[in-house]
Amino acid sequence: MKIKVTSVMVDDQDKALKFYTEKLGFVKKKEVPLGEYKWLTVVSGEEPDGVELLLEPMGFAPARVYQKALKDAGIPLTMFNVDNIQSEYERLERSGVKFSMKPTQMGPATIAVFDDTCGNNIQLVQV
Amino acid sequence: MTYYSNEVARLTKSLYPHDDLTKHIIQSKLFIDKHFSEDINLDKIAGRAMVSKFHFIRVFKKYYGSTPNQYLQNVRIEMAKKLLRKGKSIEEVCYAIGFTSKTSFISLFKKMTGKTPLTFQNKKAILNSN
Repeated sequence: MKIKVTSVMVDDQDKALKFYTEKLGFVKKKEVPLGEYKWLTVVSGEEPDGVELLLEPMGFAPARVYQKALKDAGIPLTMFNVDNIQSEYERLERSGVKFSMKPTQMGPATIAVFDDTCGNNIQLVQV
Repeated sequence: MTYYSNEVARLTKSLYPHDDLTKHIIQSKLFIDKHFSEDINLDKIAGRAMVSKFHFIRVFKKYYGSTPNQYLQNVRIEMAKKLLRKGKSIEEVCYAIGFTSKTSFISLFKKMTGKTPLTFQNKKAILNSN
């Protein structure tokens, strides 16, 4: 058994692809039409053969309730690791990304939380 | 302040109350990140810790989820993967990451990645040629 794909729920796949590639800098890996949605994944340019992130549509209504509850509480749906959180924070903020938590030290880690515009909080981590 | 920010603040206060110790442990981790290819030992990693070695190891593990030595091995093997991907020979990789014995490098690599360095490298070569 292997972990090949993880996912974030997104309210609009096209908008999500734009945000995750153009703003965050990920690279599109797969786009396969699947009825009204598509199997759409991105990877990190630093690890093109690493775990894929599925931009998963929310066809199942209760998923929206779960997503909104996390969003309102400021809880990140998932997290991405960065080498330099301060410079990533500055880069993203300059490009208009909204942060609900600026880089904050939590013991050995520094974390920051931003809005992915697709309904989620995403955490950046530098360890 | 969100619920999450409040929880982060609360946990930080209760889990990491000693700023000096936190700084010190982070320094030790950064020391490993920088000097992993050298002949380093616990004394060098702990630096001028004002705590006993046993306590240092315990706190390091509490912060990072692995002991200083496990963390060092992890950093070395991650670097080995990078170098193997670039096509470096097993011998070159072994010495570049601070191992003096090829046998112990190969066995640790296998233990941590599930593959021998050679299999790892060949698999990458096959993937890249497709």
